[in-house]
Amino acid sequence: MTTSVKWIWPAVLVGMCLLPLGVGIYPQHVLIVSLFYVMMAASWNLLAGYTGQVSFGHAAMAGIGAYTSGILAAKAGLNPWIGIAAGTLFAALLGLGLGALCLKMGGIYLSLTTLAFSQILHIIIVNEYEVTRGTMGLQVPGLIPEYSKLAYYYILLAATVLVLFILYRMIHSNLGLNFRAVQNDETAARAVGVRVLHLRVLAFTAASAMAGFAGGLYGHYLLLVTPEIPSLDLQFYVLAMTVIGGMGSFVGPILGAFAINILAEKIRDYGEYHVLVFGLVALATARFAPEGLIGVWRSLRRRPAR
Amino acid sequence: MLAISVMNGLVIGVIYALAALGVSLVVGIMNVINFAHGELYILAGYFSFLFASTLGMPFAPAMGLAVALVFLFGLLIERLLIRPTYGNDMYSLILTFILSIVLQNAFLLIFGPYPNKPPLWVRGASEIFGLFSYGNQRLAALVSGAALIALVFLVLQKTWFGRIIRATSQDRAMAEWNGVNTTRLNMLSFGLGCALAAAAGVILSPVFPVTPTAGVPIALTAFVVVVLGGMGSMWGCVVGGLLLGLVENLGAAFISSGYKNVFGFLILILVLLVRPSGLFGRAKL
Repeated sequence: MTTSVKWIWPAVLVGMCLLPLGVGIYPQHVLIVSLFYVMMAASWNLLAGYTGQVSFGHAAMAGIGAYTSGILAAKAGLNPWIGIAAGTLFAALLGLGLGALCLKMGGIYLSLTTLAFSQILHIIIVNEYEVTRGTMGLQVPGLIPEYSKLAYYYILLAATVLVLFILYRMIHSNLGLNFRAVQNDETAARAVGVRVLHLRVLAFTAASAMAGFAGGLYGHYLLLVTPEIPSLDLQFYVLAMTVIGGMGSFVGPILGAFAINILAEKIRDYGEYHVLVFGLVALATARFAPEGLIGVWRSLRRRPAR
Repeated sequence: MLAISVMNGLVIGVIYALAALGVSLVVGIMNVINFAHGELYILAGYFSFLFASTLGMPFAPAMGLAVALVFLFGLLIERLLIRPTYGNDMYSLILTFILSIVLQNAFLLIFGPYPNKPPLWVRGASEIFGLFSYGNQRLAALVSGAALIALVFLVLQKTWFGRIIRATSQDRAMAEWNGVNTTRLNMLSFGLGCALAAAAGVILSPVFPVTPTAGVPIALTAFVVVVLGGMGSMWGCVVGGLLLGLVENLGAAFISSGYKNVFGFLILILVLLVRPSGLFGRAKL
């Protein structure tokens, strides 16, 4: 296993670089959107899968990134790249504030507060239409002078690799060990000197920053930032991808994001059933296979050996 | 203006209190938040619309049937989805959130995005203290909501069943040692929590019609009320519900109507900053 791991990631990366070549514009678009979802699901997984915090405001953080960068670029003429950095920072600050505010009270409070936060953000965006263009959506400039799906694909691929690399290093470090300790037994972790609250706030801030970063890039790719980004539907998508792929595993959410986003495009041909279908699948997965498809695969591999 | 806003605040406040009582009951006993609470409220609205408007039943039995069906649905949810997650609060949060999205989309598919409204119980309007005239339906909603809350308190304080509920929410292990079947009680209280959401739904839907996503702000407000009142505190729900109803309506009248639901969020932040255990909460959950 360890020897195969060494070359599998470079191989996947080369494969991902070659993937969009020779396919049409529409499959390229689906791939770009999938990369956005990979960043979202992988960073949400850092919360739910590794530190046991269920945030319902991850899509809202992506919205913060998209709107911050979009408004700065469209109204103040700022360079979109600086805008994305600002959006990432703003999302991180909000994550820090919300995390510090409610995490000392325990997990349920974080879920409630983030859900309320995403609703409030929605209301503000719709009401302040002079700044945000409300439900019409805000037109924003692109990241590159000449629009090209292929260039956007490589930009988002690079961003995804960056986010996944940071997540991988976080999880496979002392920090990640502490995350696992807290999730397995909070009291025991506290007893051996893990600063539980700091750890949770740190994870929440980092994940929020990643969502803001992903959202900023996504907005400048779509060229139109709408309240669809900070919506509960998008939040549900991210959650379903992580749960179906495999919460608490590094690869699970990545596969889940690709699989579900591509499948959703297929199902959409038959009408607007995809949310309902994925809801039922996610419900069944969370209930019967809480470790997701990755967990099912692992247990199938393990069984013959026993 | 002021008087009407206060009146509107009381009507909606009673409904918030009723919905929050359902959340609080479940939190107190099971330490589970049901994120599909608002969708069950909507489901009851749709049921009463279906029975009263489409099938032509009189409004009272239609409402009773709607609440009973949602109660049974709640029992089913507890048995199938919540019970396997005992001891892992995170999964119950995820499961009920997914359930809420599933129900929203199912409503959208079945009933469409249009608002649906069960028939009014009473028509016309009354003069209130000679100050202003107020819709009779809203008055009826206020009275029936208040009566239901009184009934819930009566059951909790005066009956054997209420004593079991209070005992279990105070000390689960001790209640078990005294012979309470807590598994059965979990199922029953989850069903009752859903039934309280349903009761709020059937009472308010003739005033505010139901749409597939109209449950989200109601549930969110109920959650804020529960945090404001203190998790698991029943009195906190009543005081918090009325307070939030009044704040929202006065805020909408005198500050900005578009930001009606934001005031609740501000209260939530304030509570978390100043007194995280809520008005009537125990210090540690």
